[in-house]
Amino acid sequence: MPGVDAPARAYPWTALWVLALAGGLAMALAVAVGSVPLGAADLWAVFTGGGNELQRDLIWSLRAPRALAAFATGGLLALAGALMQVLLRNPLADPYVLGLSGGAAVGALGAMLLGAGAMLVSGSAFAGALLSTLLVFGLARGSGSWTPTRLLLTGVVVAAGWGAVITFLLTMSPTERLPGMLYWLMGDLAHARHPGWAWLVLVIAVAAMLPMGRSLNVLARGPLQAAALGVAVRPLETSVYVLASLVTAVAVTTAGSVGFVGLIVPHLLRLVLGNDQRLILPASALAGGTLLTLADTLARILLAPQQLPVGVITALLGVPVFLFLLYRSR
Amino acid sequence: MVARMGQWTVFTILIALLPLAAMAAPRCVEDDVGREVCLEHPAQRIVGLSPGAVELLFSAGAGEQVVGAVGFSDEPPAARKVPRVGSYKRLDLEAILALKPDLVIAWRSGNPAGQTEQLERLGLTVYYSEPVRFEMIGTTLERFARLAGTEQLGKPVAEQFRAGIDALRQRHGDAKPITVFYQVWEEPLMTVNDRHLISEAIRLCGGVNVFGELPALTPRIGREAVLGADPEVIIAGGMGEDNPAWLDPWREFGSLTAVRRDNLFFVPPSTLQRPTPRMLEGTRRLCKHLEQARARR
Repeated sequence: MPGVDAPARAYPWTALWVLALAGGLAMALAVAVGSVPLGAADLWAVFTGGGNELQRDLIWSLRAPRALAAFATGGLLALAGALMQVLLRNPLADPYVLGLSGGAAVGALGAMLLGAGAMLVSGSAFAGALLSTLLVFGLARGSGSWTPTRLLLTGVVVAAGWGAVITFLLTMSPTERLPGMLYWLMGDLAHARHPGWAWLVLVIAVAAMLPMGRSLNVLARGPLQAAALGVAVRPLETSVYVLASLVTAVAVTTAGSVGFVGLIVPHLLRLVLGNDQRLILPASALAGGTLLTLADTLARILLAPQQLPVGVITALLGVPVFLFLLYRSR
Repeated sequence: MVARMGQWTVFTILIALLPLAAMAAPRCVEDDVGREVCLEHPAQRIVGLSPGAVELLFSAGAGEQVVGAVGFSDEPPAARKVPRVGSYKRLDLEAILALKPDLVIAWRSGNPAGQTEQLERLGLTVYYSEPVRFEMIGTTLERFARLAGTEQLGKPVAEQFRAGIDALRQRHGDAKPITVFYQVWEEPLMTVNDRHLISEAIRLCGGVNVFGELPALTPRIGREAVLGADPEVIIAGGMGEDNPAWLDPWREFGSLTAVRRDNLFFVPPSTLQRPTPRMLEGTRRLCKHLEQARARR
């Protein structure tokens, strides 16, 4: 990987500012458009404390919390994806590759099958995600040593197991519960009302990861090199795994298993910005948030008043952009 | 006198033979996909492939002849004891065959077409049921009763249902229109369009479904669209027959007319969301709520 450090020193702030600006614009768009048209004057009135009750409800109770939740979720997923790709040294790694979303889905769907309310569904999704994380980590460690390959294999097989349980739950469910379950599996932000936690975790996670950026850069070249260069490989890998898992668990609890963001955003940024983790990690958080906010806005308005699950749009937006960049990068 | 006696005798014999003749002649009815379904004898072993069909069979007086039912066939309570033949999405064909049914009531839009066609190929008599209008509920009851030979039990039920619906129609026919949002499900938020039976119930009570024009039968919508449509009444089903929790999230939106006038109502979902005679009860309740809402204008 040529020029790991040099170009990053030259332009990281520019890149981050551009991404932050894009994120701000995406948020503004998300608040400005919806199935009820609001003019610029109406928006200004609401933001300056005026507007009628309907306009205030639309902006403050529906659009703003949802846009904030979308941004935080996207940021968390892209961050987790970037971390997993470094940890497993595998370009196909995403936040869900180790079975975490499967565990969360089994928790959430099981709760839905029993007719639980939204709070309990979120709670059991989080519990399922943590259970899966512990299971994979414990099994991969086995009698002591674990390698990324072993971790990956354990995770993939556990994920397959969760997949079977999910299919079983879907088969056993009465029809009227199915749409809710499928929307959860595809990711849906319609009920993400309290984005505060997700934001808190996002900010803490990015701040915690930044000091490790240099070590991660070395780790990305391989554990032997990293060890030779004085990096404590095992503790670093463990903390990356734990952090990525927690971050993903929070994202999945907020919006269900939104696919694709965690896989594609870090790759996309590496194609454009190079592979310096000190830049890629915060940039992933910003770009992931932007992508998911845009995708969710489109999901709300494309067929309005009908709603699409956001996962459909992330893939529709992300796939062509990614393929184009990959094609050009040769 | 003798001749007269003779006439009477012939007449009496004929009368006595009538049921036999009726039994010998095939009983034919048209099903909901327009095919003729004929039975030589009244059905004695019926399998119902949707919870709605099973409930309709019991209502038509044919409950004792139902020997197999799909999962979630929970109404009336007696239906819970009927042996299961898989779920309506995945039928257990072997279990169905083992029951040796002489009539299978399939659900056109719910059962896998491949499986119901296979049942036909295996020589079973299949009636496709899809009651999507009020009048079809009455017709279906009569047809089921005819196929099962339980006309005496089924006919009055059908007539009672029709009379009940007609009474509601007359009573609310010229009520002032009132806009209604019907919530089928919470996550995702789902409603119905005008082709749905629930929307017919709303119309019958003088209501106007605010999402009646949407193309999908059960569209997924956003809360914002409901705020934009600003219905005068919000009616919700719920998870379970006694759980109006879905109405609570609406209360935080003071801009909604329905919230300001406290026109948030719960109707037990099984009385509106299943095409069975119990829809009369659900529709009555719906009409009553719309009356209350009109009084609060």
